[in-house]
Amino acid sequence: MATTALHPAAPAVRGGLYEWLTTTDHKKIGILYLINSLVFFAAGGLLAMVVRLELAQPGLQFVDEAFYNQAFTMHASFMLFLFIIPILAGFGNYAVPLQIGAPDMAFPRINALSFWLLPLGGALMASGFLATGGAAASGWTEYPPLSGPTFHGTGTDLWIMGLVLIGTSSILGSINFLVTIFRMRAPGMTLFRMPILTWTVLVTSVLVLMATPVLTSALIMLFIDRNYGGHFFDPANGGNAVLYQNVFWFYSHPAVYIMVLPAMGIISEVLPVFSGKPLFGYKAFVFATVGIGALGFSVWAHHMFTTGQVFLPFFALMTFLIAVPTGVKMFNWIATLWRGKLVFSTPLLFAIGFLTMFLIGGLNGAFSAAVPVDFALHDTYWVVAHLHYVLFGGSVFGVFAGIYYWFPKMTGRMLDETLGKIQFVLMFVGFNMTFFPMHQLGLAGMPRRIADYASTAGWNELNLLATIGGFVIATSMLPFLWNVLVSLRNGKIAGDDPWGANTLEWATSSPPPPYNFDHLPEIRSERPVFDARHGRTAAH
Amino acid sequence: MTSDAAAITAHGETDAVPHGVAGLGNPVLGMLLFITSEVMFFAGLFAAYFSIRAGYQELNKTTGQLQHVWPPTAFAHLLNPFTLFTETGALNLILPATVILVISSFTCQMGVWAIRRDDRAGFLRNFAVTLILGITFLLMQAFDYTVLAKEGLSLGATTFGTTYFTLTGFHGAHVFGGALMLGVVVYRGMAGQFSARHHDMVEATSLYWHFVDVVWILLFLTLYVLPGISPS
Amino acid sequence: MSMPSRSRTGAGPLVAGTLIILAIGIAVVVLAIAGLTPGRVFDSFFPVGGQAPVTDRGHATRQLYDVVFYIAATIFLFVEGLIIFTAFRYRKKPGDDELPPQTHGNNLVEVIWTAIPLGIVLFLFLISWQTLNTVDAKAADGGTYVRAVAARFQWKFQYLDGPDGKDAKVVYEQLLPTGEGGGLILPVGEPVHITLSSPDVIHAFYVPKFLFKRDVVPGKLNAFDFTVDTPGTYRGQCAELCGEFHGAMVFEVNALSRGDYDAWFTAAVKKAQQSPPPAPSGGPVASGAPAPSGAPAPSGAPAPSGAPAAQAVQIEARNTAFTQTAVTAPANTPFAIHFKNDDAGIPHNVQVKDASGKVVVNPDVLTGPGETDYQVPALAPGTYPFDCIVHPNMTGTITVQ
Repeated sequence: MATTALHPAAPAVRGGLYEWLTTTDHKKIGILYLINSLVFFAAGGLLAMVVRLELAQPGLQFVDEAFYNQAFTMHASFMLFLFIIPILAGFGNYAVPLQIGAPDMAFPRINALSFWLLPLGGALMASGFLATGGAAASGWTEYPPLSGPTFHGTGTDLWIMGLVLIGTSSILGSINFLVTIFRMRAPGMTLFRMPILTWTVLVTSVLVLMATPVLTSALIMLFIDRNYGGHFFDPANGGNAVLYQNVFWFYSHPAVYIMVLPAMGIISEVLPVFSGKPLFGYKAFVFATVGIGALGFSVWAHHMFTTGQVFLPFFALMTFLIAVPTGVKMFNWIATLWRGKLVFSTPLLFAIGFLTMFLIGGLNGAFSAAVPVDFALHDTYWVVAHLHYVLFGGSVFGVFAGIYYWFPKMTGRMLDETLGKIQFVLMFVGFNMTFFPMHQLGLAGMPRRIADYASTAGWNELNLLATIGGFVIATSMLPFLWNVLVSLRNGKIAGDDPWGANTLEWATSSPPPPYNFDHLPEIRSERPVFDARHGRTAAH
Repeated sequence: MTSDAAAITAHGETDAVPHGVAGLGNPVLGMLLFITSEVMFFAGLFAAYFSIRAGYQELNKTTGQLQHVWPPTAFAHLLNPFTLFTETGALNLILPATVILVISSFTCQMGVWAIRRDDRAGFLRNFAVTLILGITFLLMQAFDYTVLAKEGLSLGATTFGTTYFTLTGFHGAHVFGGALMLGVVVYRGMAGQFSARHHDMVEATSLYWHFVDVVWILLFLTLYVLPGISPS
Repeated sequence: MSMPSRSRTGAGPLVAGTLIILAIGIAVVVLAIAGLTPGRVFDSFFPVGGQAPVTDRGHATRQLYDVVFYIAATIFLFVEGLIIFTAFRYRKKPGDDELPPQTHGNNLVEVIWTAIPLGIVLFLFLISWQTLNTVDAKAADGGTYVRAVAARFQWKFQYLDGPDGKDAKVVYEQLLPTGEGGGLILPVGEPVHITLSSPDVIHAFYVPKFLFKRDVVPGKLNAFDFTVDTPGTYRGQCAELCGEFHGAMVFEVNALSRGDYDAWFTAAVKKAQQSPPPAPSGGPVASGAPAPSGAPAPSGAPAPSGAPAAQAVQIEARNTAFTQTAVTAPANTPFAIHFKNDDAGIPHNVQVKDASGKVVVNPDVLTGPGETDYQVPALAPGTYPFDCIVHPNMTGTITVQ
């Protein structure tokens, strides 16, 4: 018998703020993830502006070296741990149960806990700015001995503690996703009929489950060295500084796939809808995603090529190999567009932006895979260019594609297309203006993480250009914010399926009822809503 | 098709049949995944231990050269599990503690078998014994820590101290968590909440307890037995 | 079946395209005004005609970079072109509601675009492995042996009598990282063996013109060899975040012809051995630090000797060295250090410690050129060492009497 009767004493409707604070509904939790992540995106963006303002010209104009180090450390920490990973988890939270035809996640209360650990962990990390000596300042990688007790104080401990909470949030979330995906799919939804977003969330969750605890162990060892007299990473007492790097990167390399795979999943949802054709090579996508996830565990020491403590040929080979499944995805996406009928709504613009920018990020990564070239480029602005092309040009563009795509489903209203296109153009131009010159800066010998540079080094103009680009990116957020605020009130009513899309979330109202579906269409392929719309019920 | 969907409640437990598609309840699958993540956590700590062990060098007073030795000579005598008293006359409880933890896994499993055949009294008995054995293990560990501290072993006393206390300390914390879970399960069992058809938390807790036991066996072998067999 | 009529492809691409072209135009103008000429771009970016590296192994790295660049550029033009072509060619025409062909996939094509990239990356791996063997190869014995010591935030270079190890002897210690008579001075055309050592945190030895860097890991002795083939001065910099003044941790490599190098080395070693011990008291002393140093420091401004408390102690920093390494100050009364930093863009300060090493005063760093006064509290008679917190090899002594 169904057991969904409410407790007799429960109020008929829980209102407003209380509802949002206590909800276990995956849709509301997904939206909370989005909101929290965008807040930290803004904070991280402000810190980026501090960095770019200081670097625009040689000489120290605005901050001192100590604060500069905090600025880039916390910029990266906010962006990676409190923006990109959680926002993709937020999209997963919102979309995956809907896409597989489930009424919620497997463990709704743990889902809520996963979310609330994020603002808590983020607050802990950020509170470093108020501590004596300031926030963590040894780079988001926090290598000892620099991050050890001799050189940095409380801010680093707060960073560690916040990150342990954030990691716990991720791990709990991954367990939730895996159980949900394996056990709560609607009848007819075989694994190979799941939307690619759900597949990417599945593989990402395996990565989170297996890799994040290793980060936790590294953080705990660092904490013990810093506070309890430990010597894990203390060379003067039998410890090994490079040990930290190995344990850290064993997590942090799979982490970059955690940061990009769900964004690739979003792209794989958007491209078919806006070209009117199915995703080209569905099975190839699945295998490529699994391949990237698996190979991702074997490349970590390519971040450590210059330490002199790494077996170089193995890691170089695995790093080169991971380009292959990534290339397969790129070609399959293009083939999805090929001979389609492309509708250039904002989600498609961001998706195509992803393709063009992620390509560059993948190609400049190939240079670093060639070990001798990495000896020249490691720890220079070349790497800053690479990481931003894949994480911003890739993941962030994917995130905005997802926002424009699912905003109607979440709120029942459309975002304004014109404002969306203005945001896209400004962001695209600003992004390239900021980060393309960094290839050259790296080749010209500008190292990372320096507060200032000699005016005779020849880096002045490109730094100024990059800073101007940064302002353009910042400007692009204004039409976005305005768009969201205005559309929440006055946006065009969306209806169930404003895009003419393919997957199950579009088979219910916008926004969906608490239990998600009044009825489900028959599931015979990876495009059940498309099939229903075109009267197809037999397997195609 | 939709009736199947409706049968899945908001908490993910399939209703009419206690076990779903693969024979595992959601909580049990969740616990297995959680244990996987915990295995990776300990893997990081073990990797650190082996890496530090491989690189550890001590100044040989006679030759004046640095040589690889493990554990450090100052503490080697503390690691023989097969003597009831240490050289300094303190009680060495590490082997009895190990035996007790292993026995507790057996009693735990017997409790699971009991509740599967609806023997609620048997289940409660076995789980209560498991809980007591678990607490005993923790007390013995605590005692052992005081002995080691008297001998000068601490987190800061060479990397051996750092790795030893980190590994065993986090294991102890996991045993403590497991004991809390056992306590909750015993409490709920006494309140009659478990039956042959509904005992997911019993299964989940027993899986966690076995995991904690396996980690201890690996720790015991690595920290106590391995140095004796293969000094480097 | 028809597609839903939500297409608004009308003016969109046109507007977007115009804005992008406008933005590119603005960027070009801004760049031209800022002085970024195509020549500058070419020099640091494109393989053909770009800057050539100055070591034997650097050429191998450069060749590898060029191959990777050409392959990457080709793939970029091809794939990016394909994306842009597809985006424009397959725009939905207004009013066209027919579904396009619903192609699900093509196994042959999957095989092709898996096999070809696999071949390309395996080729890249093999040539990069080959280049690695050249770059990491041990050079023949003999030549110059230098231990580069990286300590927050200054490089010093210890010239050894042979391969580094427990028994290696330091023949000469270069304390000046840059400038006149400073830097890592090396002979051209002879193997150089570098070992890296750090007493504190991880640093990295990076010379862009060598196309090479290697981490300096405390507790490990990383080593690498090379031969410089072109005389000249090459900037180097620490490339692993090491703290507040990481960005200031610069050095130079001065590659001299064989003859010039021999002359320099002999003269430097002789001067270091002849260096007089510090004067016992009073008056300025020109150079003469006890340890062999590479600085032919000119005598600085006269310091007040035994004068009443009103006069400030004069200390000057030039070329990453104190021009006064032995000064005097009055006892039992607060005094001022008038500090002048002549090094443009380089931060210095004067940190005073007592004989036991406890810090007496650690004032704010001053980036040159500039002058400032540091206030020192009353000190009992004795010797007080001072240094620069950014450059630990900049040292001196205040004799308080």
